[in-house]
Amino acid sequence: MTRWLACYGRSVCGLIILGLFVSAFVAFSVLRERVYATERAEVQTIYIQSGAVLDRMALSFDALLADVYWIRTVQHYGSAKRVARDDRSYGLLGPLLDITTTLDPYFDVAYRFGAIFLAEAFPNGPGRPDLAISLLQKGIAAMPERWEYYMDIGFIYYWWLGDYEQAAGWFSQAADVPGASWWLRPLAANTLAVGGSRESSRLLWEQMYDSADSEWIRNEAIRRLAQLQALDDIDHVRALIQRFHRTHKRFPGSWSELVEAGFLAEVPEDPTGQTYVLDVVNGTLDVSSGSELFPLPGESLTPFAQ
Amino acid sequence: MRQWTEFDRTVSIPARIAIHVFKESVRDKVLYGLVLFAIILIASSYFISQLTAGQDVKIIKDLGLATIQAFGLFFAVFIGTGLVSKEVERRSIYSLLSKPVRRHEMILGKYVGLVLTLAVNVAIMIFALYALLGYIAWTTPENVRAAWDVAALDPVMLRAVVLIFSELMLVTAIALFFSIFLNTILSAVLTMSLYVVGQFNADLRNFEAVVDSQAVAFIAQVAYYLLPNFASFDIKAEVVHAVPVPLVYIALTGGYAVSYIGALLMVSMVIFSQRDFK
Amino acid sequence: MSSYAIRLDGLTKDFPVGFWWPRRARVLDGVSLEIKRGEIYGYLGPNGAGKTTTLKLLMQLIYPTAGSAEILGRPVGDIGMRHRIGYLPELPYFYDNLTAEELLIYFGSLFRLSAAEARARTSRLLDRIGLGAERRQQLRNISKGMLQRVGIAQALINDPEVVFLDEPMAGLDPVGRRDTLELIRTLKNEGRTIFFSSHILSDAEAVCSQVAILVRGSLIATARIADLEFEVLGWELVVSGTDEGALVNLGLAGATALAGGRYSIDLPADRSPNFILPELVRHGFYIVALIPRHESLENYFTRKIEGLYQTPGKADEAVDGV
Repeated sequence: MTRWLACYGRSVCGLIILGLFVSAFVAFSVLRERVYATERAEVQTIYIQSGAVLDRMALSFDALLADVYWIRTVQHYGSAKRVARDDRSYGLLGPLLDITTTLDPYFDVAYRFGAIFLAEAFPNGPGRPDLAISLLQKGIAAMPERWEYYMDIGFIYYWWLGDYEQAAGWFSQAADVPGASWWLRPLAANTLAVGGSRESSRLLWEQMYDSADSEWIRNEAIRRLAQLQALDDIDHVRALIQRFHRTHKRFPGSWSELVEAGFLAEVPEDPTGQTYVLDVVNGTLDVSSGSELFPLPGESLTPFAQ
Repeated sequence: MRQWTEFDRTVSIPARIAIHVFKESVRDKVLYGLVLFAIILIASSYFISQLTAGQDVKIIKDLGLATIQAFGLFFAVFIGTGLVSKEVERRSIYSLLSKPVRRHEMILGKYVGLVLTLAVNVAIMIFALYALLGYIAWTTPENVRAAWDVAALDPVMLRAVVLIFSELMLVTAIALFFSIFLNTILSAVLTMSLYVVGQFNADLRNFEAVVDSQAVAFIAQVAYYLLPNFASFDIKAEVVHAVPVPLVYIALTGGYAVSYIGALLMVSMVIFSQRDFK
Repeated sequence: MSSYAIRLDGLTKDFPVGFWWPRRARVLDGVSLEIKRGEIYGYLGPNGAGKTTTLKLLMQLIYPTAGSAEILGRPVGDIGMRHRIGYLPELPYFYDNLTAEELLIYFGSLFRLSAAEARARTSRLLDRIGLGAERRQQLRNISKGMLQRVGIAQALINDPEVVFLDEPMAGLDPVGRRDTLELIRTLKNEGRTIFFSSHILSDAEAVCSQVAILVRGSLIATARIADLEFEVLGWELVVSGTDEGALVNLGLAGATALAGGRYSIDLPADRSPNFILPELVRHGFYIVALIPRHESLENYFTRKIEGLYQTPGKADEAVDGV
């Protein structure tokens, strides 16, 4: 035993000390992160807001740097969402996306997802459809053959800005691009005719789902369709409540009343499995605030009392 | 002759080697040229600053600190890789190691000597920068000076310098580590590559946001913690724009540097002790 | 205290050769030696025999694959023992930017020398090796021969008991070589043990008391110079009191005329002087000198080695003595 110790004792000692040093610097790293949660990348982005400057500084590694900034963008978006709803700030999303796409003008994912992130209404996003549109226009300038960008702009006008004429115009432009999906022209026509209707929205999202080239867009389409389903459900329940009112001369005070009265088989759930919320004080129906579908788009919150 | 204790040895031999390394570097003409060039660059930032209105001081500080960092980096790699690999290539190491010098004492002495050289070089460049800033502060009228966010001779800038210097010490330790078992050119290349990687490895931590595989994300996390994180030493932007940098942050980063250097030196000493010098 | 200055015991060194699939090349194979104190020991062999490898193993610049070595009774690498030895590496290179003085003072500081002591010794040593004003020039500017001498000086800075010299005569002109040999003799007379390696056997012959021959990593032979029986290759006969004509009559053609009426005659080995001398005396010649010509150490060992290699099975034996 002692011989072994004499032989290897020094090595073991050395290894232990090495281990201590390594643990020390890892510990310092972890501790520093815990204390200073701010992403340093964010701080630096503030001072290099110009993508053009960074592009020059990056020499011939701009594409690689673009990847780095894309990772930072996604991380920023993700971490911003983890903060409590009211405190969220997506301030650097715009600059980060601008830098990413300036460094690599052909960065398709950055344009498409970037626009989705930017247009998303608060609290799930900064609610800047204008920035989203300019980002997509930047994409069009770099790659005019990408019909998806025209479509995405049209989509923003449709869904977030409610400007159906503009939306139809952009869908039409998209349809003009060689290689565009066949359903864009009917979509344009439909939008112009009954833009804003739930049916045309459902059509739009179903097309998005079918044509989606990534998981993200597909999931988003599913979610939107579920929201539309929820709207349908709410209309249906609203009709039941009206019938209840006619028979009972008052509005129901809770779900159980509706169930006991035989209008509903059970407490209704939205497509994600969360029960709907019957707000008797304000007289509204909505999805639960904890549901993934919250908040529902557009006109859903008309009180049923009216 | 007085008897040496083991403690005397521990301190004395590396100290003497360190002084020797310092003397050798001081005589290296290339280094003189580089320091001179750095000072010229710092001075010329004065003329560049004339092109922008009111932003002079920021630009000079920015450029000055960046120059110091860049040149310091170059010194660290240049001398650091020469420390051991050059001695082995030139074979002057034979005569040194046949003296009553333990191998790890040589590594320690070399490192300290290099850090000393670095300190002197950086001090000279800092002095030049502060001199320039002082001159500007002196020649600028009162009202313009009042418009500056931060005073020209802001002592907080020294915090950035402290971190820059810690960063350089870490790079030196890396250069020394590589030069133990690689030739001069290869160690220089690898040290610089590791420096570049270290600038971006904070992004490795965020891999899980963009990568589907859990395994890859985990490996990226481990890599993030083990690879040197150089981006965290860079507080130039904050210091120049008067964003406060707490002393605790500096202490933590400094502690990180010290422990990482300790680990590197340990490994270097071990590898060096085992090496055959053909 | 061990009576041996240096002991090698089965010292073996393998080096990996080749990048992808490293083979082991045996550079030194089971070398065992014992060297007493106060000797000048010649470690001889052709280039590539492993002499420098042996010295590096002794300085612990490389580590042995097998076997061990001791210097002054302490294992190699013992720091205390390092204070008492000096080493001159082959084709030495020191620090370009330093002067000879600075180099010696620096190395002196790595021993227990105070600044003043180091300075004093440096001065003495540089005088001793004959370095004048060049001692204040940077080492990059002095000649190779001077550098070699500086190398010897740095090996002596700590007043060592054992001095290791690897090819100390390399790069020296004849004057330098003579001086170095003289220095080696003086060091021995001061009671030091000298271990030096060389591929020039005549140098060893001049100063060594004992030699060892290393060929391709194996110790082929060790011997005391005094004990060696060299073949006599012939004689040189110096006579006077005659003229060339008389010599030719006696059958001694080809004599060389020396100064002062003397002649030098080469007698081949097969012509014993026993028969010539009486004849010469009878004819009135005066015998000035009769000098046997021995074979050189080189020839002696070549003869021995060839003999070994020609005898099957004998090549692997280490031959001790003659």
